[in-house]
Amino acid sequence: MNGGVLSQGLLPQLAFIVVVGITFCGAIIAVFHRNILYNVLGLALALCGVAGLYVFLGSLFIGLMQLLIYVGAICIAMVFAIMLSRPVHLPKPKRKVSKMATSIFAGLLILGVNVGVIYKTAWQPASERKLDWSVKTIGDFLLTRYVLVFEVISLVLLVAMLGAIIISRYNGRTS
Amino acid sequence: MFTKDPILLACTVTVVLPFLSFLTIICYTRKWERVSCSISIGAILTSLLCAVYLFVATRHFTEPLQYRLPWVISGKTIIPFGFLVDHLSMLMLVIVAVIASLVQIYSLGYMAGDPGFSRYYACQSLFAWAMMTMTVAPSMIQFYIFWELVGLASYLLIGFYYEKWSASQAGKKAFVVTRIGDVGMFIGLVILLLYYGNLSIVDVNSAAVAKQIPVPLITISAILIFCGVIGKSAQFPLLTWLPDAMEGPTPVSALLHSATMVAAGVYMFARLFPFFAGSEQALQFALLIGTITMVLSSTMAMVARDIKQVWAYSTVSQLGYMVMALGAGGYFAGMFHLTTHAGFKALLFLCSGVFIHHYHTNDFFVMSRQGARNLKVPMVCMTIGALALSGVFPFSGFFSKESIMVALAHHPNKIWLAAGLFGEVLTAYYTFRLIFVMLFPKEIEDHGHHEEEHHEGESILYWLMGWPLIILASVTCVLGFFEKQFEHYLFADFILAHGMEHGAEAAQAGGHWLTITAIVLVLIGVAVAWLEYGRKGASQEGFLSRMPAIEKLFANRWYMDHFYRWALDMIIYSGFTNIFTRNDRRVIDGGIDGLCRGTEGSGRIASFLQSNMVQYNIFVMVAILGFVALSFLG
Amino acid sequence: MNNLTLYLLISAVLFSFGLVGVMMRRSLIAILVSIELMLNAASLNFMAFNKFLSPDTSIGQIYTLFIMGIAAAEAAIALSIFLALFRQLRSINIERARELRG
Repeated sequence: MNGGVLSQGLLPQLAFIVVVGITFCGAIIAVFHRNILYNVLGLALALCGVAGLYVFLGSLFIGLMQLLIYVGAICIAMVFAIMLSRPVHLPKPKRKVSKMATSIFAGLLILGVNVGVIYKTAWQPASERKLDWSVKTIGDFLLTRYVLVFEVISLVLLVAMLGAIIISRYNGRTS
Repeated sequence: MFTKDPILLACTVTVVLPFLSFLTIICYTRKWERVSCSISIGAILTSLLCAVYLFVATRHFTEPLQYRLPWVISGKTIIPFGFLVDHLSMLMLVIVAVIASLVQIYSLGYMAGDPGFSRYYACQSLFAWAMMTMTVAPSMIQFYIFWELVGLASYLLIGFYYEKWSASQAGKKAFVVTRIGDVGMFIGLVILLLYYGNLSIVDVNSAAVAKQIPVPLITISAILIFCGVIGKSAQFPLLTWLPDAMEGPTPVSALLHSATMVAAGVYMFARLFPFFAGSEQALQFALLIGTITMVLSSTMAMVARDIKQVWAYSTVSQLGYMVMALGAGGYFAGMFHLTTHAGFKALLFLCSGVFIHHYHTNDFFVMSRQGARNLKVPMVCMTIGALALSGVFPFSGFFSKESIMVALAHHPNKIWLAAGLFGEVLTAYYTFRLIFVMLFPKEIEDHGHHEEEHHEGESILYWLMGWPLIILASVTCVLGFFEKQFEHYLFADFILAHGMEHGAEAAQAGGHWLTITAIVLVLIGVAVAWLEYGRKGASQEGFLSRMPAIEKLFANRWYMDHFYRWALDMIIYSGFTNIFTRNDRRVIDGGIDGLCRGTEGSGRIASFLQSNMVQYNIFVMVAILGFVALSFLG
Repeated sequence: MNNLTLYLLISAVLFSFGLVGVMMRRSLIAILVSIELMLNAASLNFMAFNKFLSPDTSIGQIYTLFIMGIAAAEAAIALSIFLALFRQLRSINIERARELRG
């Protein structure tokens, strides 16, 4: 259960708290701010935080992937979508308190359920564990045991790209 | 590697240069016609030099020399790429290189000023490359690939005037019809590969094949591979593409009819001859096909009025002779006739090209009326070619035809010999019909001003076309006298490599009566032609015009094209196409339409559930889920 | 910071933030943002289990990679749908999208 250099001492603990703080701050901005652009930037912040958590969980590779794919690609795509559809300039309807209240209630309910599950379950590590964090093993698995999933995901991505192009193509009816 | 082995270097240069010239012309020099033609001609001349060097350097080799580079390795099957250097391939390489270079030089005159000049030379280079690489192929796979490339190049050249409807149709026809035969050939090769596991030409020809494969299977695969010959060399059921192929420029016809496209089929037959010889039935089949082709196309040539068409039919019938010779076991006779035929048929086509270029018509009756005999050089050369074609004594055709007759005489069944001799009469008749018409026109229209049209530029072009003719004519005159050396050259290779005894004693045993009969028959043919076309006051109407039904039959190519058209309409258009159209409309389109309608309909039904308040729906869902989960936790 | 529960709690909180966002926000892009948060919470769970429980530490990482791939595809499609919708309605408000009912 040793997570490497980042697990011991005061400095790493401080760093951990900072990372969790960034994640939550980002999430709060992403959910509650009224400007969509800020939402996306908040999401980027939260995703950076999650990437940091991945590093704490021992996988620098996945952390980097998170930064590359989520922050680098998905968030940018969202910013593009915002710029193309310019919803920033649209009038913002007023928030309904009742809606806010109900959704926060539902969120808290699910949070409660989750916390309950987390504390009630007796987590047992697997009896035999292979602690192999190398990227090479991931690559091996991707092309051997998970090759079908890998290929299917590739196909899904391809179809998604084609679909995105077809759907968002200018159809001449407006503007 | 190259520096140590001059033969390998020469092979590579021979084969690669035309390809490089093709690429260069296509990619870079399309705009500069002079550069294009010099690149192409330079490449083919260098190839010719290398080929001659190879021919000389390897003349004493007894074993075939092979250079092979593995290309595809799959399990135990290795498909190599490389060169097979033996006497047969070297002979063919030289023939191809000589004819191709002469044709390209001739084309300088013939094609001058054509808008597609560079494209023409690019295609010529492609053609030469494909044919030469095919010639030296060590395995049937490489052979097949370049066999198809030859088909492609000839498609491009036949359809060269693509803006002309008939030319593009002819190109397509040549491509598709030869492809029918190629499918058979490919299946035959696959059978061979499956049961023998090796397509190397030397191995296929070795005696080991007969031990490994049962004879019926050899017969089947040999006949299937022979289908390729049928398609490429325009043999009986598939012969109609070749007469149409004259839609291309005349030099292309010369190349196509003499050394490359159609010769490829016969060359393959000779290349795999020991393999074919493993099955008596396959040889019989070849003999039959060759004979039918020879007689049918000779009859067609008797009524044609188009000069190129006459030569085209004669090509088909001469190819029939070659296949007959090979089918009767006369390996040498077939190859010898291929060689001499390449020379005189190129000569005939190039000569007629001069006439066509000059008079802008293809009808030799019209040409003759306009004074074709005033063009001395082509007229003399054409007469030499015609004498060779009909097999008159000192010219090359006589010797090769005689050796074919000897080979046929050796066959136990004398019907083939009779058919061969009959074909000689027909050949002499239709050839001299054309020559006499050209030489002795009925009435000459006064076209004196043609002479004045020969200003300086024209005459350079004229001689550019003239020199290849003179070279070919002299080759035709002397080639026959090298029969013995030729035989020795081919058989040294053949007997040693395959341990088969043929021909050597056959050439002697034929006896003189055969030669005499052949000469007499040829003279009869010439005499009939003289009576009808040559002598003063001749009607210039063939005896066939008194039998209109038969004439019509011959002129319509025995209704073969009509039959194919009809079969195509019946089987393909109203049979398969119909089924496929129905399948497409009903099953595929219908299925997809049904799917769409199903999706749309179900979407419409499900949309009743939509209350346009997604978020409240989610809230309800989440809340219920949460409470259920809580109760489980509880 | 070295125990599983802590990470699971963080992930649960992230998930709840996402859920609240999905239910509360009207802008489609904001909803997409919230969905991304929820997906991240799920991958965080995977990574935590991977670190503390799983028999082979490569597998959780591979699943996280797959989730990223799916998220990318989903974002591409969703954003293009938003663009098409925006051209039709001049708005990306989810409550205005009731014409979709057909």
